[in-house]
Amino acid sequence: MIDQAVRTFVALAGEVGLHYDFLLSPSEVRPWIAGMGTTLLLVLLAIPLSLAAGVAFAAALTSGRPWLAGPVRAYVELTRNTPTLVQLMFAFFALNMLLSKALGGAANNPFTPFFWVVAVTGLHIAAFHAEALRGGIEAVPAAMVETAHAIGFSSFEVLRYVTLPLALRTAMPAIVNNLVNLVKLTTIGSAIAVGEVTYASIMIWTQRDNVLELMIVILLFFGFINTVLSQIGRYVERRLAVPGYGV
Amino acid sequence: MARTASTKLPLCALALTLLAGAFGSEARADATLDRIKGRQKLTVGIILSGAPFGYIDPQSRAEKGFNIDLAKALAEKLGVKVELVTVTPPNRVQFLQQGKVDVLIANMQFTEDRAKIMDHVQTPYDRAGGAALGRKDSGIKDWTDLKGKPVCISQGSNYAQPLADTYGAEVKGIPSQPESMLALQGGNCVIAVHVAPTIKLLLADRPDAWKDYAIVIPTELEPADSVIWLRKGERDTGAALDAAVRELHASGAMLEMAKANRLVDPTFLEEARRKYAAPAKP
Repeated sequence: MIDQAVRTFVALAGEVGLHYDFLLSPSEVRPWIAGMGTTLLLVLLAIPLSLAAGVAFAAALTSGRPWLAGPVRAYVELTRNTPTLVQLMFAFFALNMLLSKALGGAANNPFTPFFWVVAVTGLHIAAFHAEALRGGIEAVPAAMVETAHAIGFSSFEVLRYVTLPLALRTAMPAIVNNLVNLVKLTTIGSAIAVGEVTYASIMIWTQRDNVLELMIVILLFFGFINTVLSQIGRYVERRLAVPGYGV
Repeated sequence: MARTASTKLPLCALALTLLAGAFGSEARADATLDRIKGRQKLTVGIILSGAPFGYIDPQSRAEKGFNIDLAKALAEKLGVKVELVTVTPPNRVQFLQQGKVDVLIANMQFTEDRAKIMDHVQTPYDRAGGAALGRKDSGIKDWTDLKGKPVCISQGSNYAQPLADTYGAEVKGIPSQPESMLALQGGNCVIAVHVAPTIKLLLADRPDAWKDYAIVIPTELEPADSVIWLRKGERDTGAALDAAVRELHASGAMLEMAKANRLVDPTFLEEARRKYAAPAKP
């Protein structure tokens, strides 16, 4: 049934000059479908990592403690101002190699290329989240923070119950923006042979030279993920909206 | 398969001669040959994947290598100037098909799949297979030892399929050869497979940096003819270039170029020289 549908599609696409013949070769289709799965897995792991790290960084940046804010500020600047691809290459080729040496050989190194992609993209986007949240935290009226302190909230409680919930609402559009970027950023995994969808496609089109055909699928695939992501973002934004507060 | 192509050669040439005779000498050349003659320029897509085939000279910033010399020699034979366009594995076929280049001399060996979408110059300019670079203590002795082992290749290399399908290796396609070498040194793969001449030259040039490494498998993977690719149906361009490639073999110019670019093992080119030089003798 599915087989027949694929055949019909390949034939129809062939009519208009698009070569999707690889869909009929199981040894090529399998890694390609697995590539889509890997991309989704990368996204599902990197998003929570970026959010958790972003909140922690924002808290550190607005903590008013120089020993905490200073290093995080340096990290945020470094990450925001350098290309992610270069960071990934550095992490994988340099950092990972040093780690292997320190651990006595690559066999003892538990960090896979997959891990480095999640870590680098997640922590890269976390820096952008941190800036968005810092803006939100600083936008909370000073009087409100003072009131919270006056009724006996500790600094952490002020963050947890007052500033962060409000900052999250202000920063929501920017955070969704960052997450959309994060999804697209996972494609740099192809540079270090992580089998996500672009890598899987590169491996096919370098043999079959059907770049256009696979590009179309990649664009549709990422377009679809990000449409879903934006919809979720918009839904959460509506749910969180505080009547009468904010812009 | 490459062999059958070359045995068919005389037949092909005969057919071409007959065709030319049938249509008379007034017959127009195909679009590409017309364009090359018209613009007085042969546009060649080359790949800069490293010495000895194609690389940027660190001092002069100019493109150098065997492929570049071959492009220049071919243009000279056709009596036109050469224009070099750098291509990469993902875009090279598009560049050819969209007419951005006239021909490709881009480290592309003959494969059946490629022959379906492009035509090639019948006479190969070289023959190359993949060599397996690995640590001397890796314990790998044969291609069959690679089963389940991570193997680094360049994205776009035609070794992906035989390594994965025939030998069951876990293939890792790295964007380019230098990065693949880094991945090998970092222990991310056990073996790196690249075109043999590049590996041999690397080992010869930098013995200290690579003293723990060697070509661990004595045989080459999928040795195949390196050919010049052109758009489907461009017979006249193909014939003109074929004559030029044969002349370069026969005169020994091809071998000279290979030696000048330090192709470590020019056995194929020496044989080709004998083969194509022979019929010219009275």
